[in-house]
Amino acid sequence: MLVLLKLLQQLVKTLNSDGTPGQIAAGMALGAVLGLTPLINLHNLAILGAIMVLNVSFPGAMLGWALAVPVGFVLDPVFDVIGRRLLLETPALTPLWTRLYNLPVAPLTNFNDTIVLGSLVSWVVLALPVYFLARWGVGRYRATLYPRLAQSRVFQAVTASKLYNVYRMFRPD
Amino acid sequence: MRVVRWKAVIPLGVTLVLVALFWWVFLDRAVERAVEYVGTEIVGARVDVASAEVSLGRGAVVLRGLEVTNPDQPMTNLVQSDQIVAQVRVLPLLQKKVVIDTMAVRGVRFGTPRRTSGAIQRRSPTTGQVGRAISDWANRIRIPPLNLQGLTTVVDVSRINLDSLRTVAQARSIAHQGDSLRDTWRTELGGLDPQPQIDSARALIARLRQADVRTLGVAGTRDLVNSSRGSATRLGQATDRVKAFETRVRSGVGSLRSQVDGLAQARQADYAYARGLVNLPSLDAPDLSPALFGEMAVERLKPMLYWLNLAEQYLPPGLDARRQRGPDRVRASGTTVRFPRAHELPAFLLVYAGADAEVGGEGAAAGRYAATVTGLTTAPALYGRPTRFAAQRVAAAAGPRSGSIVAILNHVSAPLKDSIVAALDGVGLPTVALPAAGATLALGSGAVQMRLARTGENIEGSMTWRSNNVRWVRSDSTDRPTDRPTANQPIGSPAWAQDLLWRTVSRLTSAEVEVRVAGRVTGPAIGVRSNVGREVAQALRREIGDEVSRQEQRLRAEVNALVEQQVQEAERRVAEVQTQVEAAVAAKRTELEQVRAELENQVRELTRRLPVRIP
Repeated sequence: MLVLLKLLQQLVKTLNSDGTPGQIAAGMALGAVLGLTPLINLHNLAILGAIMVLNVSFPGAMLGWALAVPVGFVLDPVFDVIGRRLLLETPALTPLWTRLYNLPVAPLTNFNDTIVLGSLVSWVVLALPVYFLARWGVGRYRATLYPRLAQSRVFQAVTASKLYNVYRMFRPD
Repeated sequence: MRVVRWKAVIPLGVTLVLVALFWWVFLDRAVERAVEYVGTEIVGARVDVASAEVSLGRGAVVLRGLEVTNPDQPMTNLVQSDQIVAQVRVLPLLQKKVVIDTMAVRGVRFGTPRRTSGAIQRRSPTTGQVGRAISDWANRIRIPPLNLQGLTTVVDVSRINLDSLRTVAQARSIAHQGDSLRDTWRTELGGLDPQPQIDSARALIARLRQADVRTLGVAGTRDLVNSSRGSATRLGQATDRVKAFETRVRSGVGSLRSQVDGLAQARQADYAYARGLVNLPSLDAPDLSPALFGEMAVERLKPMLYWLNLAEQYLPPGLDARRQRGPDRVRASGTTVRFPRAHELPAFLLVYAGADAEVGGEGAAAGRYAATVTGLTTAPALYGRPTRFAAQRVAAAAGPRSGSIVAILNHVSAPLKDSIVAALDGVGLPTVALPAAGATLALGSGAVQMRLARTGENIEGSMTWRSNNVRWVRSDSTDRPTDRPTANQPIGSPAWAQDLLWRTVSRLTSAEVEVRVAGRVTGPAIGVRSNVGREVAQALRREIGDEVSRQEQRLRAEVNALVEQQVQEAERRVAEVQTQVEAAVAAKRTELEQVRAELENQVRELTRRLPVRIP
């Protein structure tokens, strides 16, 4: 329940006032990779670091992650096909994969797994569209829906929660 | 607006430290799970590790309590080891490569009982794939039964089903193919039909015969000659097409003919099938030995083939990209592809491993053993040397027992070249049940010799078991005298059969069983010979040889009667195809060649009469 409340709080705060729509959208685009690709991978640690250090919305990233998880599950067969095409059926790329496979650290990213590569490449392709779509969506939300929501008691209760203080540490400047 | 959130650097650092700490704390457990997962995937049954201890700084890994379940007996361990100490190179780990310079395996025991079942509840599609393939091969092998009961009763030939005979099925197939080919070829011949060209050429020949050079003039003659030459060229092209078609028809008819010839072989198989159906044994020693020792041979060969096939799967030659199922996770597994490259390290390499094993007690296998493995790698082409496995008994608990096994797996380049040579003395040999004799044969302690050689996809070799202290035990409860025939037992009755076999085999104090293997490594053919089989065959020949021959003649006659009509029909259809299509094509080709020759001849005649030469 607490987790749900926290998520709800983050969602509301994120969408309403904290950070520009661009920061939230960038956070969502970065967070999407955590959901689209299998989570326990080295590249996701790097992405998590980037989300924390770069001036993007952290709750936005969490929101992007949460939204992308089911999409990742559904699209696994597609990722497999893409990964297979890139790893096995594109001879021109074989020298690149062979070089990467024999470099230090690179194999630890599991790039040579069809699902990991397929989902990562898909995210690279989708990152900009996700960013622009999210930026437009947040802008529209703030202009139309937010003024009415701000009056509601639920909204006020969520924003007044103490957990809000923890979240502020990662709030965009 | 700043791009970097500096105040989050410290939390990030803390997070990274926490991740590293988490990884360090759970590294032992991760290694333990990795060994269990990979081992289970390879063996097809549970592999358990009691604990793992990893010291990255020293590159040392210690595994304790390794248990590898026997895939065929889930409550028994194939092998168990108290402790494995490995010296691992640390830097290749950054490339996700495991290079073990030395490995010491201590406290090895075989065939120990398990506390819990080692069967896998949910098998992945690839888990134990090789084991399943070998089991399928073993199940496909038909071991002829040895059943002497009812030998002299009238053989019930009505049990031979027409549709079960291979000859009938093949003959029907040939007849069907013949009909199908005949129709197809007739249609094709219709499409090729050169008759209009032949008719046109004949008309030209007639014109050429009546042509008068003076009436036609030089220009008219030239036109006629050119037209005739064009027709001759077209006739030549048509002849080529018909010839090509004729070649195809001949080849097809030849194929049908060879299938008809193959019916003789199928008939031999049907004789064997019919004999098996009515339990009429062959009295040739090689045929009786499989009945007696076939199951034992298959059981002993299964592990050899299993490990050879497994070695092929996990130690492939060459440097092509290798694919394997991705790791188990909540998400789909996908496929993991490895890209080996020359002069780089393989994904797995065990440079040297030594193992000491001690089998306790006073049994035949009791003693101390030493084994070494060198150059075990997933990419032999990168390592450049064959994998070598050697084991020998260094001290026996009792008696002059010795033993050694040397296996060399040369997968550096295709074709694969594997060889296994083993000579073991004082080995506990199995007890074989002989239900037909109502007896069991305890081979006791004896010698095993094995030689297997694999080149590419083919395997060839033999295994021999010898024992000089066999023990025959009557398994039924009847208390009959065992040194003389049972009085008044009708020949062919169960009691007669058991007594005959018992009298024959119980005199034997030594047994030698030889199993020969040859064929494709995934499913070779086996042949079994033994002195027991020879003795039984001779005894049978003495007692019931004439009767078995008579019954066999009856069976053959019955099979012949059943298949003859189908065979004749197949031969008739093939002959029909040959006469109808092949002859028709040959006739057309001959006609084309004749008309063309006549046309060219007439052209030459006409041009000879001209005062000028037409180009």
